[in-house]
Amino acid sequence: MTDAAGDLRVYAEYDRDFSEEVDAVIVGSGPCGAVVAKELTDAGKRVVLLEEGPPFTPSEYELDGALSMARTMREGGLRATRGTVMPTMQAIALGGGSLVNSAICNRAPDFVLDRWCTDFELEHTTLSDLDPHYDAVGEFLGIAPTPENVQGERNLSFKRGCDALGYSSEPCLRNVRGCRGSGECFTGCRMRAKQSMDISYIPAALRGGARVLTSVRVEEVRADGHRVLGVSGRVVAPFTGRPSHRFRVNARAVVLAAGCMATPVILQKSGNLANRSGQVGENLQFHPGVAIMGVFPDPVHPEFGATQGYQSRHFLRDGFKLETLWAPPAVLAVRMPGSGDAFKRRLAQIPCAAIWDAIASCPRSLGRVRARRRGLDPNLTWHLHRDDVLILAQALWTLAEIFFAAGARSIIPGVHGIPDELHSRSEAEILRTHSLKASDILTGGNHAFCTTRMHGDPSRGVVDENGKCHDYENLWIADTGIFPRCPSVNPMWTGMALAHRLAQTLAERL
Amino acid sequence: MGWIFFSVALGYAVARVVFGYREPESPLTRLTRGEAAFLAAAADATFPSGGALRSSGREARIPAYVDRLLIASHARSRRQMRLLFFLLEHATLFFPAPGLSGFRRFSSLTDEQRVAVLDGWASSRFWQRRLVFGSLRAILTLGYFAHPPVLRALGLAPFALRSPICEADLLYPRIGAHPSSILLTRADLTPPSDGTPISLGAPIDPRYAEDDS
Ligand SMILES: Cc1cc2nc3c(=O)[nH]c(=O)nc-3n(C[C@H](O)[C@H](O)[C@H](O)COP(=O)(O)OP(=O)(O)OC[C@H]3O[C@@H](n4cnc5c(N)ncnc54)[C@H](O)[C@@H]3O)c2cc1C
Ligand code: SF4
Repeated sequence: MTDAAGDLRVYAEYDRDFSEEVDAVIVGSGPCGAVVAKELTDAGKRVVLLEEGPPFTPSEYELDGALSMARTMREGGLRATRGTVMPTMQAIALGGGSLVNSAICNRAPDFVLDRWCTDFELEHTTLSDLDPHYDAVGEFLGIAPTPENVQGERNLSFKRGCDALGYSSEPCLRNVRGCRGSGECFTGCRMRAKQSMDISYIPAALRGGARVLTSVRVEEVRADGHRVLGVSGRVVAPFTGRPSHRFRVNARAVVLAAGCMATPVILQKSGNLANRSGQVGENLQFHPGVAIMGVFPDPVHPEFGATQGYQSRHFLRDGFKLETLWAPPAVLAVRMPGSGDAFKRRLAQIPCAAIWDAIASCPRSLGRVRARRRGLDPNLTWHLHRDDVLILAQALWTLAEIFFAAGARSIIPGVHGIPDELHSRSEAEILRTHSLKASDILTGGNHAFCTTRMHGDPSRGVVDENGKCHDYENLWIADTGIFPRCPSVNPMWTGMALAHRLAQTLAERL
Repeated sequence: MGWIFFSVALGYAVARVVFGYREPESPLTRLTRGEAAFLAAAADATFPSGGALRSSGREARIPAYVDRLLIASHARSRRQMRLLFFLLEHATLFFPAPGLSGFRRFSSLTDEQRVAVLDGWASSRFWQRRLVFGSLRAILTLGYFAHPPVLRALGLAPFALRSPICEADLLYPRIGAHPSSILLTRADLTPPSDGTPISLGAPIDPRYAEDDS
């Protein structure tokens, strides 16, 4: 039917237990796993890519935000940390997070990577070390700045506000080809413009001869001495997760790319594998995000425009990055305060509104991932550090400032203890004068890292800088869990660049 | 004697929790009568009729939406949602609503009492109570926006878009179907999106365009 030399399996095709024998098995088809699959296949290796979720096509996308989340996200999109309660979303789909994310691509800043190198004893992870890998991924996915004609007023007003205050800003680079500005990246790109892994790297891996098995859940990595032997698990029904047939894949190398929440759980469930350092599941970090809605005097037509088309890296050294944002209106409305008539009045303002967010670098705010007794869903604990609350407060104030500079008539900050709506820059001063607590701020954390961190010292990290586990010769980890510290910018491109390097190193050793 | 008193009290408590709910307005698959009654009451307290957006919570068929959401949700999320509904429906049996006969289930309170109870949760100094309220309001809001007339009134209904057919469409069948069900061939591939911006007045998706008011 296609010129795919490989083979893709879906749930309806499994009718018995099975086993496979390959050079490399990759667990998880998100941005990191998909890159490894393609690069190893291109290097002539026999590869099988295992993914628990199903493949989605546009006819399967739900335009309704909540129903979409129930289908594409783990725990129906209702996963949250304990300690400081914060929602966090991980996808369960062929392509992982790339199916639902906004496609923003950023290279990690050089000062961040330099600190990774000095603080975590890494020798080859500066920006110039990673640039060739960023370039390779960028070229393959067509990563480019968002064109002006699909920005729409909701993105361009952000630029205006930044310009007025002298803050630098730029169109977001995105892995997108032919974006029409539908603003619906979160529920899946019906225009097939977003180069999510299911339409980019995975078809390329299949063309190269990879086998891609969907609806299979890896439950265990099998090991013997200093080598791992492969993985085993169950076929699971889409959406219900009901297990059926068993499978086993024997491989010369195992690459875990199940995401920063799932990989540590798989290791813990495999007899606490690769954990001589005691760091598996530790150091969980996020970029907690806060958002403000600004209401303008005239219609903004927020329904049009690239989902997240503009950003400002001006405050990266202060600990936060600013972005424009759009999501299904229902999901945005959930953040608005009030009830009854007042709530309805606010909702009626959405056509005149823009939403901008800030993501913060919070390396002091740490958590951990633990396996539950049953199942593979993680137990997450995380605490927002007091000092990081100050960064979020500063970010909220800066967003407010930009809104008023862009001509907003009012803002809705969504912060407990502060008036629901603020009508001027001076009223908004309260965002920096009021002493905020972690529980006053509505945060969300969809960028997550560090749970199997890299470290030059095997007693302090799980993998080396190429992603190879210190404790095993042939066990590798490729997802964002290997970041030693939060990258301060959207993580996908950095994860893929590191995965690209991992694949090159592994291909040489196989 | 104590035993009889205990049994009567228990029977009364069970009756208050389980019985006395009317048949829901539309047939529901997952929601119990009690849950549907609670949701209808909470929906109208959150989205009263009239005002800036015409539809009320009940007119927006929020209980029917939550029923669909429960079907689509994972077992744990389903349990959490039901626990939330149960908690809020019965909390006023222990912490009464203001005014006369405040010791009643949420769905049996007057409109004013319901609004007052929800306001109490929303502005509580305990973040856990605010979280409970926020979760309920989130579910109700998702349901409200799932009602096509609401999005149409706001001019925010999704655009009608025709997806290009790409290589992936030849690889992936519909979820649950066998690959043999893919009828597309390479001859069906269409040019990829050329990046023409969607125009603001473009038609909206047929699922939102139909008259559903
Ligand atoms: C709504 C949203 C918006 C975002 N926007 C951006 C953005 O614009 N830019 C950006 O850089 N980042 C963004 N992110 C974050 C980004 O998507 C993630 O950092 C990225 O997807 C991580 O890639 P990964 O390969 O490490 O893991 P994932 O993408 O999580 O992929 C892991 C895959 O492994 C599978 N898996 C897990 N367990 C198993 C198992 N036991 N067996 C088999 N398979 C398994 C999962 O189903 C999943 O498909 C966003 C995230 C979300 C949720
Ligand atoms: S904004 Fe719309 S067209 Fe552009 S990439 Fe996102 S979903 Fe696709």
